[in-house]
Amino acid sequence: MLKIDNLHARIGDTDILKGLSLELGAGEVHAIMGPNGSGKSTLASILAGREEYEVTEGSITFDGVDLLELDATERAVAGIFLAFQYPVEIPGVSNINFLRTAINSIREQREEAPLSGKDFLAKVKECAQLVELDGKLRDRSVNEGFSGGEKKRNEIFQMAMLEPKLAVLDETDSGLDIDALRIVSHGVNAMRDAGRSFLVITHYQRLLDHIVPDHVHVLAGGRIVHSGGKELALELEEKGYDWIVGAEAQQA
Amino acid sequence: MTEATLTPAAALVERVLDAARAAGQLDLAPGRRDAAHAALNRIAFPTTRDERWKYTRVARLQQLTFDDASNASPTVPVPLSGLDAHRFAFVDGQFVSGDLHHSADTFIGPLSAALSECPERLAALGQDHFADDEWFAALQAAAPQDGGAVLIPDGVTLDKPVLIHHHLSAGTHLAQPQHLIVLGREAKANVILWTTSDIDSSGLYNGAITADVGEHAHLGLEIVQDEHGTSHHIGHHQFRQAASSRLEVRTATARAHWLRNDLHIQQDGQYGDSTFHGCYLPNDRQFVDHHTRIDHAMPDGRSDELYKGLAADSATAVFNGKIMVHPDAQRIEAYQSNANLILGEQAAINAKPELEIYADDVRCSHGCTTGQFNAEALFYLRSRGMTETEARNLLVRAFLAEVLDGFRPEIQAHVESVYAERLGWS
Repeated sequence: MLKIDNLHARIGDTDILKGLSLELGAGEVHAIMGPNGSGKSTLASILAGREEYEVTEGSITFDGVDLLELDATERAVAGIFLAFQYPVEIPGVSNINFLRTAINSIREQREEAPLSGKDFLAKVKECAQLVELDGKLRDRSVNEGFSGGEKKRNEIFQMAMLEPKLAVLDETDSGLDIDALRIVSHGVNAMRDAGRSFLVITHYQRLLDHIVPDHVHVLAGGRIVHSGGKELALELEEKGYDWIVGAEAQQA
Repeated sequence: MTEATLTPAAALVERVLDAARAAGQLDLAPGRRDAAHAALNRIAFPTTRDERWKYTRVARLQQLTFDDASNASPTVPVPLSGLDAHRFAFVDGQFVSGDLHHSADTFIGPLSAALSECPERLAALGQDHFADDEWFAALQAAAPQDGGAVLIPDGVTLDKPVLIHHHLSAGTHLAQPQHLIVLGREAKANVILWTTSDIDSSGLYNGAITADVGEHAHLGLEIVQDEHGTSHHIGHHQFRQAASSRLEVRTATARAHWLRNDLHIQQDGQYGDSTFHGCYLPNDRQFVDHHTRIDHAMPDGRSDELYKGLAADSATAVFNGKIMVHPDAQRIEAYQSNANLILGEQAAINAKPELEIYADDVRCSHGCTTGQFNAEALFYLRSRGMTETEARNLLVRAFLAEVLDGFRPEIQAHVESVYAERLGWS
């Protein structure tokens, strides 16, 4: 579904990704872990089409399409969703109006008929229940005055509404207490199916207790330096990153 | 004296007087026109050296020459056609249509008819003070033309809104309408003042609204300026509030080539309550200028001012808001907020709050911000599948919502659609 090959990227004069390669099959959940500054959020931003980053080498294909040729809107239409690490507050735009505009925009670009008001509201109700988002938050301005946990639940709510093929969760666990973590994870797990892949970017192993990945990768120095199964996350939690990053440095 | 020997400003006065005389003008309160003439002789034509005209160039207005009034009836758009309202239409300062309503001291109709039917009720027009020190206000008062009159006696609540529409026709025409709103004690009315101009209009609208809000009365006024062509618009909007009266005046400059609004609210009684909001969005090389002033002359009043706007392309927007708190105006609360977004590298915003406070027990605040589009919000919306156009429209609507939400929904929808169309985003 997603194939990243030898990706190099920079922001300004700073090289951040230096030959990152990664492949995700349909229905798979991959976790990316790594020390601060290793390029985790850069990868998420590039996948979503943030324009500040310059890709200098390598390729990304998504369902056979050259992703780097698509802008942020087109990527969302193609089925990519980024759950932001820092969701943006947009005063004056209600959550509901925002989602309805987004969904119908995507449908129009896919040449599908708009969702009827009734169907839309039914879907809102269903998805809001999934992440226990109450009615008040649905009607308020997007993320305005939301707590950290509410913002992250709102991201997963949007993900459920948009039904992406690939969801990138950028440090979705940061700033969450255990209850919010449980709710967010429940929402993600409920969305898992054979046609949908997840790229879960996290600094801590605890999220992976709830969202159990098929594969775990360690990102350091702008490259994937180690990959393994779900047990790798526990090992990282126990031993830190140095044993991998150090070994990699010695090999190089 | 021949025109060749006059100063450019004096020559403009002559041409305006000629044009108004030829098309038709009103003889309002005795001596009012003479006073205006005297003021025009006394006041110098404004230049950018005058603080109040620092960002507003009017020199080229002196070159205007006016076409003869046309006998052909122009096609006049009908604003808010679905709205049930007392409707009156004026073209180039002349009354063209509307059903006069005059019963039991309630008068709704053209000012020309009020002048013949109930001249004794037009006293508020003798109390204008704009014309004392403002050149263009004096010019308007020197040759006032027909406009709407809404005269509501004590205790009466109007059954439906009054929609006064003024249209400037194709060509270079002059319009100096005088609108008058007088609410008696505990009266209540909603008025919409809608100005349009033809796509081929290059004329001058120099009009005035004079409103007198009685004790415990409530006036809601929505001003919509939706003008095509390359006309110039100068509006003199003057309000006097008696004790415990409430005024809500909302101004939406939907479209204008060159426009200046001077809004002045005088709280002359205790417990006055004024809300004045406005929005603007010039683009291309357009120019929009909102000057406001509120005088808190008496104690315990309250005012809430909110103006928001955007300037795109090479457009210029000006906001100047003055709050004057007089020595007797103890315990007043006055809040002013002005927020602007710049959408183009060549666009300019000139914003200036002015507070003069001569009472010691007051609450006043003002905030003025000018910024750029939130790129992060734009990316967020696009990452959810919205096109750049949809995302920008949503953000503009959101930015202006605080102001636009105060208008009736039909007006809100109209102004939003004009903005979206003009920015080429829809």
